[in-house]
Amino acid sequence: MISCTEFIPAYSELFKFIERKEGKAAVVDYWNYLSDNFLTNLKDLVVENGIRGCWIYWEKTLKEEAADFTMELDEEAEEFSITMHYCPSKGRLLEYEHIDPYPDYCEHCDVLYKRVLEPLGYIYKLDRSQTDRARCRLTVKTKK
Amino acid sequence: MPKQSLTQKASDNPYFHKDFHIAFNYGIEYIHKKFGEEAVREYLIQFARSLYAPLMKAIKETGLVAIKDHYERIYKIEGADFDMDYSEDELIIRLSSSPAVMYIKSNGYVVSQLFSETVDAVNKTICESSQYEFEMLEYKEENGAYILRFYKK
Repeated sequence: MISCTEFIPAYSELFKFIERKEGKAAVVDYWNYLSDNFLTNLKDLVVENGIRGCWIYWEKTLKEEAADFTMELDEEAEEFSITMHYCPSKGRLLEYEHIDPYPDYCEHCDVLYKRVLEPLGYIYKLDRSQTDRARCRLTVKTKK
Repeated sequence: MPKQSLTQKASDNPYFHKDFHIAFNYGIEYIHKKFGEEAVREYLIQFARSLYAPLMKAIKETGLVAIKDHYERIYKIEGADFDMDYSEDELIIRLSSSPAVMYIKSNGYVVSQLFSETVDAVNKTICESSQYEFEMLEYKEENGAYILRFYKK
């Protein structure tokens, strides 16, 4: 049995496998598939709670992933953000001495969540400029 | 509503996100649908060779105890009910139900019909080019229970 604690390298290897089979576009197709099927819980929470749904969703997942982060919610300004000081996924991949992470690994976070949130009326941005150090910043704002 | 802020450190929480079992199942299902059954094995072999390279090295150096230690650790993390019969030449593992399969099912998702390959293909790969063989003696689709045998060639 594969433990859920071994998922991240499995995920990274899956991206490599799909890209080798059919190129980068196929990897993005996979991310779209995963977003549509797997992230229904994020969608349901945001439909029900508005931007607070982001807080509810990531408060649970980031704690379970033992992330090092600061999360902020300003419901008056309709803004939500996550400053990821050390991403548990990318961080783990960088720590493995015998595994090379999929080069565009962090892009999946951009595709998966944008696909859920933008049709619901939000602007989703992910600053991936420091992902080589397992850092990023995610912002969600209501479209005005 | 006032502004809210939450800061957490990695050390504040244990690393245990069970939803990853569901995401992994989606990966298996996607490959099966898009590339076919053999591609699922191909992917799992690639994954196992990559992640378990240190374990494969340990098997060659120390024998079946490396597999025993590996699965004891994994089952402990996952809270699995299991027992093992271990000797230098043979290791039998009995898992009464798979926490991965049960978590996927309890959340209303359909377990991929090739999910057993995550046991079979992965363990065959772990043993490749070692002095040991692997066979899956039993696998129950309904709960992922299995009996595994690792033995000296």
